[in-house]
Amino acid sequence: MTDTAIEAYALTKRFGRRQALRGCSFRLPAGRVCAVVGPNGAGKSTLLSLVAGLDRPGGGTLTVLGTSPAEARARVAYVAQDKPLHPRLSIADTLRLGAELNPGRWDMAVAERVLAGGALDPGARVRTLSGGQRTRVALALALGKRAELLLLDEPMADLDPLARHQLMGTLMAEAAEHGTTVVMSSHIVGELADACDHLLLVSDGQVRLGGGIDDLVTAHALVTGARPAADLAPHTVIESRATGRGVTALIRPEGPLGGGWDVEEPSLEELLLAHLRSPDAPPLITPGTSVPARPEVTA
Amino acid sequence: MSLPTLRGPRWVDVRVHRTALLTAGAVIALAVAYTAWLRWAASAYPETADNCVVGKPCDSFLGFASARDLLHISLEQGTLGLLLVPLLIGAFVAGPLVARELESGVHKLSWTQSVSPARWLAAKLTTAAGFAAGGTLVLMAALRLGESGMIAGRWNLHWADRGVYEATGPVLVAYSLLAVALGTLIGLAVRRTLLAMAATGAVTGLLLWNLGNIRWHLLPVDTATGPATEENSFPTRFPYGSFSMDQGVTNAAGVRFQEYECLPKPQTGAACPADTTITGWYMDYHPRSHFWYTQLIETGIVLVLTAAATYAAFRLLRRRTA
Repeated sequence: MTDTAIEAYALTKRFGRRQALRGCSFRLPAGRVCAVVGPNGAGKSTLLSLVAGLDRPGGGTLTVLGTSPAEARARVAYVAQDKPLHPRLSIADTLRLGAELNPGRWDMAVAERVLAGGALDPGARVRTLSGGQRTRVALALALGKRAELLLLDEPMADLDPLARHQLMGTLMAEAAEHGTTVVMSSHIVGELADACDHLLLVSDGQVRLGGGIDDLVTAHALVTGARPAADLAPHTVIESRATGRGVTALIRPEGPLGGGWDVEEPSLEELLLAHLRSPDAPPLITPGTSVPARPEVTA
Repeated sequence: MSLPTLRGPRWVDVRVHRTALLTAGAVIALAVAYTAWLRWAASAYPETADNCVVGKPCDSFLGFASARDLLHISLEQGTLGLLLVPLLIGAFVAGPLVARELESGVHKLSWTQSVSPARWLAAKLTTAAGFAAGGTLVLMAALRLGESGMIAGRWNLHWADRGVYEATGPVLVAYSLLAVALGTLIGLAVRRTLLAMAATGAVTGLLLWNLGNIRWHLLPVDTATGPATEENSFPTRFPYGSFSMDQGVTNAAGVRFQEYECLPKPQTGAACPADTTITGWYMDYHPRSHFWYTQLIETGIVLVLTAAATYAAFRLLRRRTA
């Protein structure tokens, strides 16, 4: 057991001419529930599939649970964005598949508990299921594996609000009980905010923000004042806009602010949107979740 | 269908493709039953002495001259049909077994369980190879059941014929295994179900055809010669049932030429010696005993190709996944 679930350094991946990841570096401590957010095409899915060992990184290093993604395969569960399942297998056979492919790890009781909320017929074939029902089966398969690291790519996109709330509850209860590290991606900012304590903002193939959500929020301030924007120069200004007679800006305070500013703590959503609107803002990876620079070793 | 001995990824492969396997099993069972029934009918309904004699009907058995006649026709077409077996196996492995999983994204499920992608591939290869070899052997046994005591040199089935040759020796099993390996490789490389099926069928067919063209040049031929007599310049002494590769006549110097090309006057473009007086004949042939040598050499070649395709498939997979 290691205290680091994922450590990536200068990770790159290219698909043809499209550079999906361009130098991703971050560290995710074990036991966290991490949201990977960012716009469509930012590289979230690529990052997760590299961690799951489905693809090889183009460059950089990637350590999963203290070892290579291939070595960690048995200890990592992954649900891809399109919830792939064998369409002709019944739900019962799909769970049997989980047992056959994960000997020594599989916990049928957990998988059945996840399915229980959905009132599903075990004899029903996967191809007859709705999108939300498929999601439930895919999550049952992932949780039944009893992994130390759970990777979920857009897990809740197909679920109605009630099922989303219920499944998220099941997921969090299982994760908390076993100390599972969970990584969930989403392009809907608010979707995961309540459930997660850690955040990676990925945009244009790079990590723009990384760290505990509370740390990230307190590292920023939303300031409003009837003063020229130039007065904020000592601080890192993420975004500023003119309002009435002054400015409203999201900043990273680098010292005490002068008087005359109305200071608020930004909401997580404000923080993320400001960074997405300002691609030139310097990235912030909080201490303890950054990776010290080192000579590049190819994976 | 209960499969108590199959575990892990093999269980998954068999379970997912259960319908296809059951269908193939039913077709094979039908072929065996049909052959057995014809064989029984051939002895139960022997040809009558006046069958097919002028003025009498020639349809004593289901519109055929006799049950034996229908058996012969079925065997002749069956041997050619058996040549299609490797193509069908290859297309199935390439398409539904491998490419469809990659095309539909289900590999993302398969490769993120506790089983490595290499074991996933090994399970597919061994499962498919087991069923392919087993099915081919049963079909070959059905053919044996139908032909026993007939192929030696009788009627329309000759041991060296395309179809008969493959279906009566180990080469057909080797071609089925090659089809499995090629299907896996092409399925992994192409990742499109229909394209992979078509490509594998084409490549397997081409190999089957081209190796069939060179197989009789693998072993040196035996040659029989003899003096030409006044009334006959045709080969008269060579082992019964041999497979003739080349035959013709020789002049006093021993130069070979073809009588029909050079006599009475050399045709344009024909290779004729100046002296076209026939003094002897020659024949290059494969005796029946070459059957097994050729089978074993060809089987070896095909198995080497199978190993190469298997190796390439694992290499391709390893380059793509962690």
